[in-house]
Amino acid sequence: MDDLNVKNQPALKQFVPTPPRPPRKSEKGIFGTIRHRCFNSIGNSLLTLCVATVLFYLVKHVLDWAVFNAVFIADNRRQCMDISPDGACWAGVISWFNGLIYGRFPVDEQWRVNIGVLLGLVWLLPLMSKRIALRNFILLSWIGLYPFVGAYLFLGGRFGEELGLVHGAMTCLALAFLTIIYANWILSSLGKKGLNELFVPLVSRLVERRIHLLSFVAVWLLVALVIASGLSQVSLEPVPIERWGGLFLTFIIAGFAITMAIPVGVILALGRRSKLPVIHWLSMTVIELVRSVPLITVLFMAVTLLPIFLPADMEFNKLTQVLVAVCLFAGAYMAENIRGGLQAIPKGQYEAAATLGLGYLHTMVLIILPQALRMMIPNIMTSFISLLKDTTLVSIIGLFDIMLMARNIANDKDWVGMHTEPLVMISVLFFILCYSMSQYSLNLEKRLKVDR
Amino acid sequence: MTTSSGNLAQKAVTETAIKIDKLNKWYGDHHVLKDVSLDISEGEIMVVCGPSGSGKSTLIRSLNHLEEYQEGVVSVFGQPLSRDRQSHKIIHQTMGMVFQNFNLFPHLTVLQNCTLGLTWLRKMSERDADKMAMRLLDRVGIAHLATRYPGQLSGGQQQRVAISRSLAMEPKIMLFDEPTSALDPEMVKEVLDVMIDLAKTGMTMVCVTHEMQFARQVADRVVFMADGEIIEVGPPEQVLVNPQWDRTREFLQHVL
Ligand SMILES: Nc1ncnc2c1ncn2[C@@H]1O[C@H](COP(=O)(O)OP(=O)(O)OP(=O)(O)O)[C@@H](O)[C@H]1O
Ligand SMILES: [Mg+2]
Repeated sequence: MDDLNVKNQPALKQFVPTPPRPPRKSEKGIFGTIRHRCFNSIGNSLLTLCVATVLFYLVKHVLDWAVFNAVFIADNRRQCMDISPDGACWAGVISWFNGLIYGRFPVDEQWRVNIGVLLGLVWLLPLMSKRIALRNFILLSWIGLYPFVGAYLFLGGRFGEELGLVHGAMTCLALAFLTIIYANWILSSLGKKGLNELFVPLVSRLVERRIHLLSFVAVWLLVALVIASGLSQVSLEPVPIERWGGLFLTFIIAGFAITMAIPVGVILALGRRSKLPVIHWLSMTVIELVRSVPLITVLFMAVTLLPIFLPADMEFNKLTQVLVAVCLFAGAYMAENIRGGLQAIPKGQYEAAATLGLGYLHTMVLIILPQALRMMIPNIMTSFISLLKDTTLVSIIGLFDIMLMARNIANDKDWVGMHTEPLVMISVLFFILCYSMSQYSLNLEKRLKVDR
Repeated sequence: MTTSSGNLAQKAVTETAIKIDKLNKWYGDHHVLKDVSLDISEGEIMVVCGPSGSGKSTLIRSLNHLEEYQEGVVSVFGQPLSRDRQSHKIIHQTMGMVFQNFNLFPHLTVLQNCTLGLTWLRKMSERDADKMAMRLLDRVGIAHLATRYPGQLSGGQQQRVAISRSLAMEPKIMLFDEPTSALDPEMVKEVLDVMIDLAKTGMTMVCVTHEMQFARQVADRVVFMADGEIIEVGPPEQVLVNPQWDRTREFLQHVL
């Protein structure tokens, strides 16, 4: 009967959509905008003028002290005062610059620090390439293998003597992995298969399954052997850990804390949600205990208590203890961040994963954690930034990080009582580091937002 | 009214795909499934309807153990299911499910959503998995959207991706829990068309839906549920046109 109704009505009008037109653009330009925003009424104009004057005086004084009246070349603080009594004395910072960066690392061996840090960055470079074999393992290898290379470079020593056998072997494996990644990068840009596929034809004749894995392992071991034979010829001057310091040490501690925060945090967060009571309570205790105590206390506990709990013949240096403490601290805070992210994932995601047949590990690693971590990027970055700043606390337990080095300047007989300038310099340095971190996180967020 | 065009008529011998025997479930003291028994044959299209809160979702989600139940047995192809590994394996190998609100993985592209199970569970090579997923996406008419993310698709498109994702695991039985309820009327048809196509391939389907037109067109049998009980089961022309119970008639007056 609906059909009948339609027939009796007059012919329908045809709908034609209105053609689109571009939006109107504002034609004010920068001066127009300023006038419109800041001088649109008498009150606002006065306010703008006041703020501008205050700003001008502030900036002028800061610049006068830091740049125009500052002394850059002098032998000691006396000279600085004589040249310009009310300017900054950057000469002191400059003469201590090396110490601020490298601590008391022997000057002749400082190239090793540079190489080590550079290698750490170079390791991550291939991440830029989208299609490269083993790409998924670059970050993993950086976390798991790079520390061995770094430690080898910074500590020095000969294979089998100062350098333990395990450490030596891991160093070779790490360098071999790096070589393979770079070879793959070059090969993939040439349109060829990765180096790890080299032995596939050979292996496929011997076994049926896991051909690619076995081929990769074979190539890896081969390259590692070549590197080992090379490295066993060189001997680096041993540098004791006590001489590490400055920004270099700060980077080591903060870098370690930041990279370990997520794995430790994920394990603790998942542990806390676990249905097994032992795991649940253990994770919860660790998280709550560490979170309710200041970092300084955690650090002191690590240095004084840890040796008591451990067997007497197991002796750790201070740095290792600090690293363990910082890692726990970072992990506990991160665990709560991640837990927040996990709670925000709707139940439907778990159900969809379950109906596809994904088990717990697959569901977590492929579906839940990527979303939870992505959601939490701002919080995670905030934690990273405060971690970077918090690591300066290690100076309190006597590690010569950048903070302690800066305070040392004031004890130097040439620069007695010079406190302000080193601290200003450190502030600027940390501002640059932290600001670029937060900018990076904004960028990351924007890039990952596309898929929401 | 046209007669049902289901597959059952053409099939000479049919095996029982799902056998539900005296299923009982409580939420606390709330008895939501009361002695529900039902046999579903292989290749059968079963539509489940009923008022809100009657336990339709609970029933269909009990079949693949998304919900636990306290009493009763569900058997799939003769295998009684329990909570052990073996049962899980059977469930995942034989049953796929499509949800009301799609539940696509928002951080993966459409194609990745479909290939996830293939590459990680079936250990299929990436190329084979892509090929298979593209074939399925093509079948539901959204192959051109393969590189988009779910958030960039309309509801109807998302639901079709969800169907492809389930189909990729090559299930023998498909469960649909109100697949079109979250969609605008214009998109309902594109999803129903995909489901009708699927029905023609001989897939065993259990659909909770309020689309009576769909039920009439493809269902072999319609189940009417109310208050946790199955009140009527039968071919659509019987249950939907000549219901035996007052409760069914009352419901149909509201829906039709
Ligand atoms: N998690 C829960 N906890 C307690 N009660 C629940 C829960 N989920 C469902 N119920 C109850 O179980 C009954 C059946 O719910 P179910 O979701 O199966 O209904 P439905 O038939 O699917 O309804 P709808 O058409 O609205 O989806 C309802 O009375 C509901 O209130
Ligand atoms: Mg429901």
